[in-house]
Amino acid sequence: MAVIRDMIPAFELFQPTSADGAIELLIRYGEDGWVLGGGMDSFDWWKERIKRPTAVVDLANVDELKGVRVTADGVEIGAMTTLTEIATHPELLANYGVLTDAASHIATPQIRNRGTIAGNLVQDTRCWYYRGGWPCYRAGGNTCYASAPTAMNREHAIMGTSRCVAVSPSDSASALIVLDAQFVIQSARGDRVVDAEDFFMRPSVDIERMTVLKPGELLTAIRIPSTWAGATFYYEKVEDRKSWDFALMSVASAMRISGGVIQDLRMAANGAAPFPVRLEDSEAILRGQSPSDQLGLQAGEAAVRNAQPLRHNDYKIPLMRNLVRRAVRGTEV
Amino acid sequence: MALIGQDISPPDLRAKITGRAKYAEDFRADGMVFAKLLASPMPHCRVIRIDASAALAMEGVVGILTADEVPQSEGGEQCLTNHPLYEGEAILAVAAVSETIAADAIERIRVDFEPLPFILNPLDGVRPGSPDGRPEGNTQVARDWVSIKWTEEDFANAPEGSMPMPEGEGKFDTEWMVGDVAAGFAEADLILDETIVHQSVTHHPMEPRSAMAYWQNGKLYIHTSTQSLVRTQQALANQLDLELDDVVMIGEFCGGGFGSKISGSIIQQVPALFSRKINRPVMLRITRAEENYLGRARPGMQARVRIGFRADGRITAIDLAALGDGGPYARGDQNGGANTASLTYTPPNMRFRGLGVRTNTPPKAAQRGPGGAQIIGMLEPLMDKAARELGLDRLGLRRLNAPDANVAYGPNGSTLTSVFVKEAIDKGRDLFEWDERIARSGQMNGSKRTGIGVGVSPFAAGSRGFDGLLVIRTDGKLQVQQGLGNLGTHSIADTARAAADVLGLEWDDVEVVWGDTSRHLPWSSVQAGSQTTHAHTRANHAAGLDAKEKLQSIAAMDLGGRPEDYETSAGRVYRRSNPSQGMTLSRAATRAIELGGRYSGYELNEDLNAMTTASATALAGQGLVAAARDNFGGEGGLQSWVVGFAEVELDTETGKVDVVHYTAITDCGVVVHPRNLGAQIYGGSFQGMGIAMSQKWVFDPVWGVSFAKRLYTARPPGILDVPMDVQWAAVEIPDPQSPVGAKGIGEPCVGAGSAALTSAIADALEGKCLCRTPLTADVLLAEIEGRVPAYGPLDLHV
Amino acid sequence: MSDVEIIGTPERTVTRRKFIMGVIAAGATTSSVGYLFQGPQPLLGALAVQGSVERLITLNVNGQQRRVDVMNQETLAFTLRYKLGLTGTKLGCDRAECGACTVLIDGVPSYACSALTHSVRTSQITTIEGLEDSDGTLHPVQQAVLDEGGFQCAFCAPGFIMSMVAMVESNPNPTREEAAQALSGNLCRCADYNKILTSAMRAAEYSRLQA
Repeated sequence: MAVIRDMIPAFELFQPTSADGAIELLIRYGEDGWVLGGGMDSFDWWKERIKRPTAVVDLANVDELKGVRVTADGVEIGAMTTLTEIATHPELLANYGVLTDAASHIATPQIRNRGTIAGNLVQDTRCWYYRGGWPCYRAGGNTCYASAPTAMNREHAIMGTSRCVAVSPSDSASALIVLDAQFVIQSARGDRVVDAEDFFMRPSVDIERMTVLKPGELLTAIRIPSTWAGATFYYEKVEDRKSWDFALMSVASAMRISGGVIQDLRMAANGAAPFPVRLEDSEAILRGQSPSDQLGLQAGEAAVRNAQPLRHNDYKIPLMRNLVRRAVRGTEV
Repeated sequence: MALIGQDISPPDLRAKITGRAKYAEDFRADGMVFAKLLASPMPHCRVIRIDASAALAMEGVVGILTADEVPQSEGGEQCLTNHPLYEGEAILAVAAVSETIAADAIERIRVDFEPLPFILNPLDGVRPGSPDGRPEGNTQVARDWVSIKWTEEDFANAPEGSMPMPEGEGKFDTEWMVGDVAAGFAEADLILDETIVHQSVTHHPMEPRSAMAYWQNGKLYIHTSTQSLVRTQQALANQLDLELDDVVMIGEFCGGGFGSKISGSIIQQVPALFSRKINRPVMLRITRAEENYLGRARPGMQARVRIGFRADGRITAIDLAALGDGGPYARGDQNGGANTASLTYTPPNMRFRGLGVRTNTPPKAAQRGPGGAQIIGMLEPLMDKAARELGLDRLGLRRLNAPDANVAYGPNGSTLTSVFVKEAIDKGRDLFEWDERIARSGQMNGSKRTGIGVGVSPFAAGSRGFDGLLVIRTDGKLQVQQGLGNLGTHSIADTARAAADVLGLEWDDVEVVWGDTSRHLPWSSVQAGSQTTHAHTRANHAAGLDAKEKLQSIAAMDLGGRPEDYETSAGRVYRRSNPSQGMTLSRAATRAIELGGRYSGYELNEDLNAMTTASATALAGQGLVAAARDNFGGEGGLQSWVVGFAEVELDTETGKVDVVHYTAITDCGVVVHPRNLGAQIYGGSFQGMGIAMSQKWVFDPVWGVSFAKRLYTARPPGILDVPMDVQWAAVEIPDPQSPVGAKGIGEPCVGAGSAALTSAIADALEGKCLCRTPLTADVLLAEIEGRVPAYGPLDLHV
Repeated sequence: MSDVEIIGTPERTVTRRKFIMGVIAAGATTSSVGYLFQGPQPLLGALAVQGSVERLITLNVNGQQRRVDVMNQETLAFTLRYKLGLTGTKLGCDRAECGACTVLIDGVPSYACSALTHSVRTSQITTIEGLEDSDGTLHPVQQAVLDEGGFQCAFCAPGFIMSMVAMVESNPNPTREEAAQALSGNLCRCADYNKILTSAMRAAEYSRLQA
């Protein structure tokens, strides 16, 4: 039947006041249910009429999911905390600056004012073939349009691909990975906790999902340990425009430097792969060394060693390499 | 003190900032229903079968409008079509009591298509054996459809990565030569031979072109978004075969057009026709994605240019061959662009060959500085390249080749009323501190390299022969009727000042009437080609003189003496030798009503346009009515100039460009409204920067569908993307052939901004001109790193 | 005379039936669903739901309590513009990509196109219409814009002004760079950014004076 890309189709709307209540609804509706956080991803799918939930579970009134709590050993951020609240929170600004940097570069003030941290983490990829409703692997079909030799893929992945070449769009993901955060997932069976790095799905495992969340599960909190509090942070996002845009590439790092030596570090990149990439090879080069530009260059080269560019995204290789180099140099742009 | 030259807040601003200003989609009518469009999913196809039965059976659906029910255009654009020539072209409309139901209804319509071959970019459209974008052919020569294809040999003869420049008959649709290019190249000390690519760019005005229409007592009432009001009323009346009086068009506020809404838009026919068919008011809200499709775009180009230079930098010859992306219905901007090149560089010898290829991409229309902005953006960095190779000052090379007032340019030796570009260049050299900044060219600041650029950009800036229409009311106010559209240039109010200045009035005594054709408006120019400021300061000046003459006549009649003994100012007409002897304008208006005849609009000049005559007649008896045509005449055309200067920093590690500073100098004659002029200069310049640096137009070449269709994928510049350190200045030499001396400004600034950036970025790349737009980070970084280029030298729509 | 068969409208007669059936039989057609996309599968459930729930709620808009029927899937922008007669909030893109629909939700600038009205029904909504005093005195931000002659076509103006109002509350003495950051979620295609920023700086000045 004919296609129109306007006007959200009707759905049942529920506004539970507890996470338990939300989960109960999600279980009841299964694949026909949809979690609504800030809506910055959801509205796009609904208005394009590509995804049509029967029931929307609006978390606007689930107060237990909101807020930043300083705990005994770090910080716990409720899933429904807005990006603005995170970007401006005094404790986060003081000790976890890589997260506030990342959050403050997301989209625009208005989007940050309603967009939530969980939403930013679980949001779907922005591959414009997939977003246009094309029946690709990720959409349950049996091809990838973006990797065709003639495809328009300047923003797509240079590594970690497996039939799907879309990139993870989450600016906060790499920041939380370098902070060694853990994500708390609640379901009818209780809580499970997943390391940030393991939260993001590899297409080789499940090509239709961006995260490990299963039906009936809800991301409820992000726990940041104090391990990296006050570390030397670096965050840089390169985008076409200075607002609205997703990253062409971003790099985040946390380093403990003392005695002129990088005692330990964590480094991650976004915009390179269908998931945020932990740069373990780069870390290995840097750990226990004195930072220098030469070393940074080596670390950068290690990060892109196995990159496989598509027709239009070869530039991402030097870009990723250079951002890793700058993370070591500590250059803030 | 004269109003022209002052900063005065526009009279409509209060409405705009309180939310009271109503744009087309803000209007409501009792019983209003909502229309939604069914658009082609394919770049080229034929509709075979439409099954709307399920849709029409839905509760709340009130009707359908199909292509056979709209004005038919043989080979031209229709508002609905059964032969879509681009993805997104509208096939039919459905109306329902709510937008939600209308959208649901669209989905229940089954349309069967026959897919047809398609062409997305001009060069592909001339390859041997390639399909044509239209069944009739791929271009028109005179009015005949032809299919122009180049041969295998033509392509083989082109150097690697260059656009072919085939010689011989029948390779282009337009060709002209001035002088002898072969001789010109023979005397050149340096010849550049470059292939250049400029993307097509969607206009994306902030306000989509929604429209709401209803019929009442046989008249069409339509709320629409248009750049030009009375001209759109005329156009729509013609299209729908209606009497002018049977079309009441309300367009008080237009949320931007930039050339895409010069006569409204063809899609406004849909609510007009639909509301007549179903006898309900119909609102057609256009979405942003629909703006990408039916909202028009600037035509892109693939071109090859050879430029010969003498050792002193003087250009000896230009040979330009350009393919334009005409979309399905137009021929592209390249012809105008060639004229702009001829004017800007005054080559004694020039050949231009152009071919506007029809493509199956959204329709193209003039976009702020059509042709000129593309050509200047593409050629200015080549001027830099020549200067570098010849060891010359880059700005000096511009000045050497710039025209004087006696220029004759283009294929027909066009002349101009005034040219003060050299003055603008000199003023800019000073204000931008060219010599100091150029010394910083290439300097590194960490990983960032400084680039300095300049762009010299002219564009059309005036027309003549339109009408002014005024009423001096019995309350003493001057009511200025304006048939113009209100698209944000403020010319509605600014040009009215010309009439007020003739009479010596304060702005508080002026009331501008515009925006509703039932309010008796005069014949006016279209709001395009930056002509309005010039055309309507003249027209209002003429009407002002007519009013003054009548005031003088009434005063002499009542108070004695001769009319020329009297002067007007401060709301009175009074004897020059004895100012206490006079009367207020209020009194004069009352007298005019008593006198009737030519004083109050019952007898009018015969040379007025019919629309003005009708409007003046309708106003007759309301006061002192003045109506006059601009008969001031003139020799030559009007062009304004903006010279844009930019300093940028290119981050060599990321490919990102920061525009550190921008200076713009204009020759646009007398400055009517300084603050507004600055805003126009910056606004156009920033648009040009967006074209040079960020704006995308992307098609999948296999499926022929558009990807950069929404605002975030199209990448128009945001507030953080444009320079904050900016300044402007004007040469302020009056145009000698207009009583007011003002020329337009809206368009030359786009090329200036675009070229200042392409020039500066090439400078930051140590003189490498990439000869394409947009110069996004991926393109620049690939170049800096010496990697596989992001795109091929002739790739368009990527 | 059309050679397109149109089924379903009463006044249509089927024309050139043989030709069309022949074409269809030859398989030379592609239905609109076949090209690229999975056609939407409108769920019967969804259609049944659509006819049902229109919830009557009370929305606090510009200090007034407004009773309004709101569909589940209705956005705040739509409710304001089509149900409450508040057309000052504009629809520029309906996709959170332009800012023309910016309103204040509990004082926080937000895209009205990207909030379900039901999600914000306990919030205080402020639109452009709610800024001036009941006697018509302009809000200091509006007065500043008026005095600086801000905006050209002004379709983006209401959204920008709402962002400015929030800005002057949270950052009474911004630098020009800070003002630009605060306004970075509002697009202006006329690119009047320079004059808009000057207006924003004056808005901050007037607000400080009034405070």
